[in-house]
Amino acid sequence: MALTQYDSAEHIKGDARAALIDLLYRLGDDDLVIGHRHTEWTGLAPILEADIAFSSIAQDQIGQAQAYYTLLHELGEPDPDSLVFDRDCRAFRCASLCVFEKRTWAFSTVRHYLYDACKELKLAALIESTYTPLAKLTRKLRGEQKYHVMHGRMWISRLGNATEESHGLMQSAVDALFPHALGLFEQTEHSEKTAAFGLGPDEATLCDAWRETVTGTLTESGLQPPLDAEPIYGGRRGEHIGAMTELLDAMRKVHKLDPTAKW
Amino acid sequence: MSDTQWPVFEVFHQQARGEPHVHVGSVHASDAEVALLMAKEQFGRRQACVNFWVVPADAITATAYDDVDIFEHGTDKSYREAYGYETTRRVRAQTTKRPRSLRPPEE
Repeated sequence: MALTQYDSAEHIKGDARAALIDLLYRLGDDDLVIGHRHTEWTGLAPILEADIAFSSIAQDQIGQAQAYYTLLHELGEPDPDSLVFDRDCRAFRCASLCVFEKRTWAFSTVRHYLYDACKELKLAALIESTYTPLAKLTRKLRGEQKYHVMHGRMWISRLGNATEESHGLMQSAVDALFPHALGLFEQTEHSEKTAAFGLGPDEATLCDAWRETVTGTLTESGLQPPLDAEPIYGGRRGEHIGAMTELLDAMRKVHKLDPTAKW
Repeated sequence: MSDTQWPVFEVFHQQARGEPHVHVGSVHASDAEVALLMAKEQFGRRQACVNFWVVPADAITATAYDDVDIFEHGTDKSYREAYGYETTRRVRAQTTKRPRSLRPPEE
């Protein structure tokens, strides 16, 4: 059966609309939250050059979140600022991988790579989305996403293969983060329909492709992917780890001082 | 103490295909591939770019500033400058005229 193509917000209704809204929240919330965590390195990264590159990647990620929130707003959801500053913590749909507080540079670069490897595969699929505005947006995002993966892979290979100390730090980051990275592919009550309506990729297929990609990169870099790790789920249903409230408090601190201020 | 800094790479930026690569600065990087990835954000985030070159700084051989006098002209060498050609005159006329010709019609 040929899939229906949805040209704009008015054309998508019922189950397909609910599945699309769920998909856009997952995309936007992952980007916003990991983007915020990346910004915590601004001014603190190991060297100036790394600081600038990582801060730019953070800006890209937050920009992508804003683009998804704008699509949500067209579908009748609150405006992007309200989604970021006024939404209840439990309404966020980000995976726990994105939520952890900043730890070591190894931890953040491993998280960055595991995340962006997944995002790149997602975008490769979303370019075919039956929701035309999402397919169009995806075409614009693929270039910066390609750079994110090049950058992430570079740090994995350089630190994975450098000294015993750097290797150890990278391997423990991989071990700690892998179950949470698998949580990126958590099914939701809508995700099967997301795939059935051709709005976005099937999570299980995406997960298989991701495993293959990251296994290649990690192994080439002398790191062991813990392939038998059990996924840690919860984020996609709004059950977040403790760091999420702290993150939202920090993100909203200035906004809360005067919510009506114009920027 | 040994130098823990990464080596320096000089960065050359190309704004459009066919344009020359222009030196824009330098980055510290452990190797050339890292240098390219760093240069992209350091020098490519605000301006159009189609290509970067990175060159290890120690691969460059330079003249000494002590020898700056070698660039002075002991006698009149203005004949080397291409003033005398018709083409030069036309190009100059174009360059001075261009700003006005590029103005939008309503001005």
